[in-house]
Amino acid sequence: MTASSLSERSAPGPSTGRLPVSLRVASAALIGAGLLIAALRLSGDPGGSRLALSLSFGALFGFVLQRARFCFFCLWRDLIDRRDPRGALGVLAALGAGTVGYSVVLGAWLPDPSGVRLPPDAHIGPVGPVLALAGVAFGAGMAISGSCIGAHLYRLGEGSPTAPFALVGTALGFVLGFFTWNTLYLASIAEAPVIWLPRHLGYAGSLFLTLAVLAALAAPLLRWLPPADASPSERVAPLRAVFVDRWPTWLGGLAVGALGTLAYLRVGPLGVTAEIGGRSRQAAAGLDLLPARLEGLDGFRGCATAIRDAILTPNGLFIAGLVAASLAAALAAGEFRPALPKRGQIGRGLVGGILLGWGAMTGLGCSVGTLLSGIMAGAASGWLFGVAMFAGLTATLLAGRRLSLLP
Amino acid sequence: MSFRTLLAARIALAALAFPMIGPAAAHATEQKQSQTSPLVSTEWLEANLASPKLRIVEVSVEPGVYERGHVPGAQNVLWHTDLVETVSRDIAGPEKFAALIRRLGIDRDTTVILYGDNNNWFAAWGAWVFAQYGLVDNVKLLDSGRKKWEAEKRQLDTRSPDVAASTFPVTPVSNGQRARLADVLAVARKERNETILDIRSPDEFSGKLIAPAGVQELAIRAGHIPGSVNVPWAKAVNPDGTLKSVAELKTLYADVGIDGSKPIITSCRIGERSSHSWFVLSRVLGYPVRNYDGSWTEYGNAVGVPVVNLAGTVWSGK
Repeated sequence: MTASSLSERSAPGPSTGRLPVSLRVASAALIGAGLLIAALRLSGDPGGSRLALSLSFGALFGFVLQRARFCFFCLWRDLIDRRDPRGALGVLAALGAGTVGYSVVLGAWLPDPSGVRLPPDAHIGPVGPVLALAGVAFGAGMAISGSCIGAHLYRLGEGSPTAPFALVGTALGFVLGFFTWNTLYLASIAEAPVIWLPRHLGYAGSLFLTLAVLAALAAPLLRWLPPADASPSERVAPLRAVFVDRWPTWLGGLAVGALGTLAYLRVGPLGVTAEIGGRSRQAAAGLDLLPARLEGLDGFRGCATAIRDAILTPNGLFIAGLVAASLAAALAAGEFRPALPKRGQIGRGLVGGILLGWGAMTGLGCSVGTLLSGIMAGAASGWLFGVAMFAGLTATLLAGRRLSLLP
Repeated sequence: MSFRTLLAARIALAALAFPMIGPAAAHATEQKQSQTSPLVSTEWLEANLASPKLRIVEVSVEPGVYERGHVPGAQNVLWHTDLVETVSRDIAGPEKFAALIRRLGIDRDTTVILYGDNNNWFAAWGAWVFAQYGLVDNVKLLDSGRKKWEAEKRQLDTRSPDVAASTFPVTPVSNGQRARLADVLAVARKERNETILDIRSPDEFSGKLIAPAGVQELAIRAGHIPGSVNVPWAKAVNPDGTLKSVAELKTLYADVGIDGSKPIITSCRIGERSSHSWFVLSRVLGYPVRNYDGSWTEYGNAVGVPVVNLAGTVWSGK
């Protein structure tokens, strides 16, 4: 299979990076060693194992995202522009693996799901029109900025010229979200039901339904798959397969599902916006920009945007690990190609980022926290956010292209 | 004789008496240990994990702490929902409490070990709720709670135990452990000769602060109840989270005039940290003490009650 058909740009060979191979590999090894030392140092401190684990999970997540180009925007564009379903099947694989993993963990933690309790920290949010609106805005932000928040973070490690502006826009979007939160909360969110499928169907029922829906989504896509390579006997060099060649997306998906389960078991669900949101809230509160109270917000699970007291937080280290590992992976593969931003990239990054931030704040998470971690946990909110996100993405992409504003 | 020496002596005696039957010896030790002290050590708990008449219950405030690793065999109780009424401000009512205790498989003769995060604040609060339904002497705290257990790198489990439900009857609540606004008001007005022990920080006690930073529940006046003395709860614990020795505790409280000769009322902001001091005074020292769970969020919001505000803070809420 040629990896390039999945990529936003054609995947470069190992020798096409701008830096000499030895320098790239040495830098990547240095970053990897730095991450390892940081995790070791953290794990030695009292209470530091949570931080060390967060850094490690973040680094693994960043590595997987970069290697497999696990990107919701790319998969959707491949699907509608090229009828190439491999990226979409990768996301379905992630959801399937993660749903099975979560069921195993949740069954041990909360043997009876039928009561009033929800599993701790799982991303199960209120299901209502505001969540749909948040998903549409988030999808529109993806179309405009060219990625979701998680993918912008790993693209930061690849030297993307758009990602920094998209992430600044995201922070601004979060502040905007805080302004509109109280109105939306009182108008709708407060009364929106929090639907957790295992409470109504049991773990087995919820698992069966989720896997059946995923299978139903996968069935038509499988027929679009290009014919399998006729000569699979070609010898694979293991190091090259792991560090240089693009991973097949299904492999990335299985890795994301496994990582999601392990991260939930030990630290918390995968999510990339808690830190961005928390720091935005802290900054905005420091500048007296925020409403005095954000009604009900801190009572919800999800990528909670609690104000941070500590310098090092689990989600902050997760993000740091993600970006650093993605940089190392990109360097090793010859995919680190920084570029000066063009005016269009700055504008699209900021505007798209604001929509991403507003959507992620209002939807209590993004395509990682609300969609992936939510669906894995059996939350109806994950499904609604996902449907709305892809709807918003499609509509914005088509409209933008018709107006010649988007590529 | 220290608790640990006692434990060692008992184990030695039991081992001498029954050289071949370890489990029986351990059971005998558990029986005696659990009768002697309101606290159990981490060593003791680890040695008695398999005891059939033991129920271990975690009451932590951080969500997910129990699930990601608890003392093997421990069950989970959520203080925000299981131990309180969720609509009115009150401890769980008789029906709700009985249902919880049955689910936990606790009978009147079961030894219950409570523990939790945050230096057992919420576990002690649990012990105070249990006490109001007559579960007093058989309810113990794991000394230091999660803190020492984790620091000693003892085994943690992520599975929930299967426990056979008990037949604990619906029991009326007894208010002997609980002080109400009228009680503290009587002390404040010097109509009753009791001591109020306020365990908040010195800045809250003086009125410099209405509440610690970041907490939601506030009062609209600052200061303390007239007739209170201030001993922050943390003064009763060692750096490893265990309680100080009985002699040290007696001195600590005697310094502010609390020696058990007259009734005491413990108080804080919402009545939960003060449960920790309630446990120390009532269960460890055996003093007559009630916990005022209304605490400053009730008293500092009440109209027309006397207040001492040393800092002179003027409420300026918007």
